[in-house]
Amino acid sequence: MIPSGTRTRGLNISSYNYLGFAQTRGGCADAVEACINRYGVSACGTRLEGGSLDLHTQAEALVARFVGQEDSMLCSMGFATNSTVIPALVGKGSLVISDELNHASIRFGVRLSGANVRTYKHNNMKALENLLREVISQGQPKTHRPWKKILLIVEGLFSMEGTMANLPVIMELKKKYKFYLFIDEAHSIGALGPHGRGVADYFGINPRSIDILMGTFTKSFGAAGGYISGSRALVDRLRLSAHTGTYTESMSPPVVMQVIASMASIMGISPTLSSSAVTPRAEDTIDMEPFPGKAPMAILPSWMPLSPTMVDGSDGSMRLRRIAFNSRYLNRGLRKLGFITYGCDDSPVVPLLLFNPGKMAVFSRMMRTRQVPIIVVVVAYPATPLVTSRVRFCVSAAHTKEDIDMLLTACDELGDLLDLKQGQGDRWPLKEIIDRAVELVNAPGDA
Amino acid sequence: MSTTVSSLEPLFTLVAQSYETLETTFYKIPGSAVIARYVKSSHRDDPGRTLLEVILIIFAIRTLLQSRTKAEASGKHFIDFSEKEIDELVDEWTPEPLTKHLDEVERVDLDSVPLIVGPSGPKPKLANGKSVLNLASYNFSGLQGNQAIKERCVDILRRYGLGSCGPPGFYGTQDIQLQLEQDIADFLGTEGSILYSQAFSTIPSVIPAFCKRGDIIVADRGVNFAIQKGLQISRCTVRWYDHNDMQSLQHVLESVEKERIKKNWPLTRRFIVTEGIFDHDGAMSDLPKLVELKLKYKYRLILDESVSFGSVGRTGRGLTELYNVPASQVDMLIGSVANGLSATGGFCAGSHIVVKHQRINGTSFVFSAAMPPMMTVAASEGINILRETPSILTTLQENVRAVRTILDKVDCITIPSHPASAVIHINVRPASPPPAQLLSPTPQSPALPASPMSPLSPSSAKLSNPTSVFPRHPEHFDMEQEERFLQDIVDDALAQGVLITRAKRLRGQELIEARPSIRLAVSAAMSKKDCEKAANVIKASCVKVLGKRR
Ligand SMILES: Cc1ncc(COP(=O)(O)O)c(C=O)c1O
Repeated sequence: MIPSGTRTRGLNISSYNYLGFAQTRGGCADAVEACINRYGVSACGTRLEGGSLDLHTQAEALVARFVGQEDSMLCSMGFATNSTVIPALVGKGSLVISDELNHASIRFGVRLSGANVRTYKHNNMKALENLLREVISQGQPKTHRPWKKILLIVEGLFSMEGTMANLPVIMELKKKYKFYLFIDEAHSIGALGPHGRGVADYFGINPRSIDILMGTFTKSFGAAGGYISGSRALVDRLRLSAHTGTYTESMSPPVVMQVIASMASIMGISPTLSSSAVTPRAEDTIDMEPFPGKAPMAILPSWMPLSPTMVDGSDGSMRLRRIAFNSRYLNRGLRKLGFITYGCDDSPVVPLLLFNPGKMAVFSRMMRTRQVPIIVVVVAYPATPLVTSRVRFCVSAAHTKEDIDMLLTACDELGDLLDLKQGQGDRWPLKEIIDRAVELVNAPGDA
Repeated sequence: MSTTVSSLEPLFTLVAQSYETLETTFYKIPGSAVIARYVKSSHRDDPGRTLLEVILIIFAIRTLLQSRTKAEASGKHFIDFSEKEIDELVDEWTPEPLTKHLDEVERVDLDSVPLIVGPSGPKPKLANGKSVLNLASYNFSGLQGNQAIKERCVDILRRYGLGSCGPPGFYGTQDIQLQLEQDIADFLGTEGSILYSQAFSTIPSVIPAFCKRGDIIVADRGVNFAIQKGLQISRCTVRWYDHNDMQSLQHVLESVEKERIKKNWPLTRRFIVTEGIFDHDGAMSDLPKLVELKLKYKYRLILDESVSFGSVGRTGRGLTELYNVPASQVDMLIGSVANGLSATGGFCAGSHIVVKHQRINGTSFVFSAAMPPMMTVAASEGINILRETPSILTTLQENVRAVRTILDKVDCITIPSHPASAVIHINVRPASPPPAQLLSPTPQSPALPASPMSPLSPSSAKLSNPTSVFPRHPEHFDMEQEERFLQDIVDDALAQGVLITRAKRLRGQELIEARPSIRLAVSAAMSKKDCEKAANVIKASCVKVLGKRR
């Protein structure tokens, strides 16, 4: 990588900045600045060896509230949240069932764990059930002893496909086949659901019925690192037995602050009278609102600057509304133009199929050399199968409707030029899509 | 014979018929005549080519259809069950709980983890409101809390925001991250370096990026947990040498060469993997000897300087500076930005090729978000400060000496760490040696740990087996009892206002159980007087707790 030395301003439709919290101004940045001045940048060590700060426990209490679990644990890297925790959950004699398109960090962790792995066809619930029936009836290879436990690992929102885990069916299967469920919400947390609380929120499923909810702060929260959440007993076990607590540096204070501030923004803050404990744990505050409630003031750092839009939750709810609109608008707009896209309408990840690997570089370059350059990510083999090369857009709440209009216009032109409009179904001309955007977005169904 | 022929006859007609229909349908497809003509003429010119093309087409179709993740085949052990039987088996199956509850010891262990309220540093405040002297947290050069760094960070926050919002390959790379990579490379004197966003996750990705199945790694028996995980992922052939014993290393290198010739192994990539200063005991590697051996036997050297980078050498460059060995002699030099520069993340420094290779093969580099720009700037600023103020490292070394001068004289403990190491491990000296020996000042007092030879592997004794991670002369110790003593010391010191910690381990998950120890991390930010004060408190606690034994 050699910097060209020149600067070009473009429209970024590639970064994971779903809620637009990667900002240099505003409530979160103010809180982070206050934190830098107070704490410096390092927590100086691992969680178990003198690197635990009050900020960490405060953030853990807040994350638990946010996702609707009893407790949570932070990790300073999203990748490591998977790769260092999964080995503490399963080992020899256990089986991991993994969606074939699961992220590399999950595969890394599973390999370290020493557990057996089986994969099933992406999001295919019939294949999953068949596999479950096979592995439970057959037991462990050769010995046919019953498995100690079976852990199903799926992603909430798949980052290359824009598809969502079929949670309602998985919950049914879970009842019947008694496996444990681990959901990686790296892309779905914050970005999906009416309250931004991820896939469980989207499907209206009680988060506590899911054993482990994992997620990262790199995407929706504009921070870094990840969390793992579940029952108190489970999280306490992981604090000791996962590699994280013993060996990885704890999250640095400004990053924790960004997490706290952006989460509190999404939740809104409820003033509580209970005295602020130094080491709050998830359920210590008595007057807690039922999930998905606001963030109790008592578990936030007392010195944290609060902006009015953060307190009343209007900042967060505006972001949630905007990302919901932008996602649907782009998904449906592209399809009305005649493109083939993957994933569901509400996904902020929008893969547009190019099919021919030869068109990738052309597409990317033509986007970049437009008058207002548009920065896109093109993905091909080996990240995707050879014939389904694609360009992947990541919508953000920070995009305006004009930004999406501009993207649609560019796609419309390139689509004709490169012969990409292979989709079936009703087509609208570009102008109509732009003019009737609200109607398009509000139309019912996954049309 | 003839009966089989007659029974096959209808089959032949069927084949002939379907061939005919196939042919006619084929010619109905527009453009098919062109293909047929092309195949015919090319077949006439060169029959071999037709075969090649057919194979190519089949291969292409297979590649296209192949699922990217192959399921584990159930193989010949598969038992056929009816649906009903499967239902019964499903009903009968009861899984174990997902995780075991903590037992009492573990509960106490977790609850005794100190919590710092407010910023970390040499004198942090704890949850009970008391200020303590901190010898637990990693802050070697005292960069944590530095005002200039804070100001730079705020400036970057206002220009770049906090998160990088994506993996380096997906527009997560920002100019100042590349700047830190360059700064590290310049600081160490390598061609380049690459940043990972967590120190622990660096080496488990670096090792498998270069070492594949069939390659040979010769590793120290005492390597840290991260390296162990890297070796596990890489699946290469590992041979072990005794902890920090260069004679043993040489012996293993020779035995590998013999084995290679005897078993007629193909020439593969070969690596020596070890640490600069060892995480589990603070011992220091003899770098010049390592380099000599790696050159002699044609190995590459992967050196983990997670503890030594930022803590030894005139300006904190680590072992290469201390021993005056050019960093280019170390093929992959891994360091911790988190410990060494009080920011977050880790790096691997080396040649351009080594760095470039990792940009697409370092798993946790490719698949994880880039480091927040603010952290990279904090680290760049840290490097500047280290370069410009060599007195920081002088102070650090003076502090280390001050602590060691006091602790080395304590009879009831042993210190396996190198005298220059800012990480100091304290072991319980077993109570068993006869009193007579304790009275006479023996030369085996801990004033001699500088020798790189482990006292446990006298070269006259029989050598350990290189294929096993276990040494021939394992250390014997009562783990539970020692851990208990050490925790008592930690608690006692805390009551006297000194924060220290036991070295936490993942018991049951490590290849070799390290001897229980207290791990001190000395910092340049502390005054010499405070260091002496803290060391005296630790000394008193050791004597108090260990004096009561038996
Ligand atoms: C599903 C999933 N899990 C984990 C990660 C890793 O997170 P991070 O980038 O924070 O290390 C990613 C990031 O790309 C991801 O997509």
